[in-house]
Amino acid sequence: MSEWARFISDLLEQMPLILTGLGKTLQLASLISFTGFLMGVVVFYLTLSQRGIIRRLINGYISFFIGMPLIVLLFLMYYGLPQWGIKLTPFTVAVIGFTLNVGAYNAAYLTSAFNGLDRSELEAAKAQGFNHRQIFSLITLPQVLRLSIPALTNQIINNLKDSSIAFLIQYTEFFARVQELASTNFQFFKAYFFAALVYLCLVSIIVLIARALEKKILIPGIFR
Amino acid sequence: MALIEINNLVKVFDKQTVLAGVNLSLVEGDVKVVMGPSGCGKSTLLRCLNRLIEPTSGTIIFRGEDITKPEVDVRALRQSIGFVFQQFALYRHLTVLENVTLALRKIRGMSRSEAKEKALHELSRLDMAIHCDKYPSQISGGQKQRVALARALAMDPAVVVFDEPTSALDPIMSREVAMLIKNLHRDNVTIMCVTHDLLLGRYLSERVAFLDHGIIKAEDTFENLCNNHSDPQIRSFFEREASTS
Repeated sequence: MSEWARFISDLLEQMPLILTGLGKTLQLASLISFTGFLMGVVVFYLTLSQRGIIRRLINGYISFFIGMPLIVLLFLMYYGLPQWGIKLTPFTVAVIGFTLNVGAYNAAYLTSAFNGLDRSELEAAKAQGFNHRQIFSLITLPQVLRLSIPALTNQIINNLKDSSIAFLIQYTEFFARVQELASTNFQFFKAYFFAALVYLCLVSIIVLIARALEKKILIPGIFR
Repeated sequence: MALIEINNLVKVFDKQTVLAGVNLSLVEGDVKVVMGPSGCGKSTLLRCLNRLIEPTSGTIIFRGEDITKPEVDVRALRQSIGFVFQQFALYRHLTVLENVTLALRKIRGMSRSEAKEKALHELSRLDMAIHCDKYPSQISGGQKQRVALARALAMDPAVVVFDEPTSALDPIMSREVAMLIKNLHRDNVTIMCVTHDLLLGRYLSERVAFLDHGIIKAEDTFENLCNNHSDPQIRSFFEREASTS
C-alpha cells in the first residue's frame, strides 16, 4: 500500500473524530466572532463616553488586551485560575479569552473607522434633538460598521485560524484531531497539508460571504 | 414681542473670549442677518442658541423662557430650532427621504407612512421629491442644501438658523439657495442667518447686524454700514465684501 493510500485510509478511519473536531472549531470560531463583535461594539460605544474616566479605562482595556498574547491569557485562565479555586472548562476559557481579546481588536477597528466620519453629521443629529444613544445607533454605528467590514472580516478569519491554539488548553477542536491523525501514522506533511486545505476552504467561504455583504450594503460614491 | 432675545451673551473657550456680550433680538416672522469676518463668533453665536455650545454667561430668551438655565429640556429646545449647516451635514448612509424621515420617526414617534408623507411634502416644497431615493453623494451641493433645509423644516421649527449656507456653493447655487431662503421668509418662517456673503445678506434683509470680536458692533441698513458708518473698520468690511461679491 502506498503512503498516500495509507494516509487516506487512516484519514477516513478517523474522519468521524476529525469532523467532530471541525464542528467544535466552527462552533468556537462562530461564537467568539459573535461575542467578540458584540464586545467590540460595546467597548467602542464606551470609547465615545462623555466621561473622561470611562474613556481612559476603556482605552486601558484595549491596550491591555491587544498587548497581551492570546496564548498567555488562555494559559492564565486555564492553568492559573484553578490556583485561586476557579476551574473553568476549556471551552469556557476559550470563549472568555477570545472574546476579551477579539473585542479589543474589533473596538480598535471601529474607532479607526469612526475617526474617518464626518463630524458635522453628528453635530447635525445633536442639533435635531437626538440623544447620545440614538446618534450612536442611527448615525455612527451604521456608517462605522460599513467602513469596518474589511477589518472585521479579517478578524473573523483570524478567529478561525487562531481557534487552533485552543487545543493547547485541551479543547479538542479540528487541529487537535489532525495532530492525532499525524501522530498515528507519522505522515506529518500530509496531515498538516490536509489541515491547511480545510482552513483555506473555510477562509474562502468567509471571504465570499463578506464580499457579498459588502456589495449588498454598498452606498453609491461613499463606501468603496 | 421678540421670539429670541439675546442679552449680554458671553462665551469663553480656554481663556479666549469668543462672544463678549452679544445683544440681539429676532421677532417672529422676521429674518435676521448677522455678518462679520471669519472667527468673529458667528457660528458660536448660533450654536449657543440651541446649546450645542454652552454659553459662559448672559441670557437667551426664547418664547419667553431663558433657555440658558440648566433645567431647560435641551433636546426639546433643539427640536424647535431648525439648523442648516455650512457643509449640509446630511447623513450619507441614508437616502434623501430617510434623511428627512429619521427625526420624524425616532424623535416625533411618527409611523413610517406618516413620516414619509410629511417628508415628501417638505421635499416637494423644495423641488426635491424627485430625488428622494438618491443618496447625498448623488446630488449637487445646492440640492444637498435643499435637503438639509427640508430636514429642518419637517420638524416644524419655530425658527430656522442658517450657518454660512452659501459658503460651500458656487455662485449660481448660492443664488438658488438665497432665493429659497427668501421664499421661506415669504412663507412667514422666522429665519436667522449668519454669513459673510454680502449678496446673500442683502437679498435676505435690508438690515444687517455686524458681529466683530464677539460683540454686535452695529445693526443698520447695508447702505449706512457701507457709506455712512462712523467706524472705518465696519465701512471697510462692507466695502471690501461688496467689491469681492
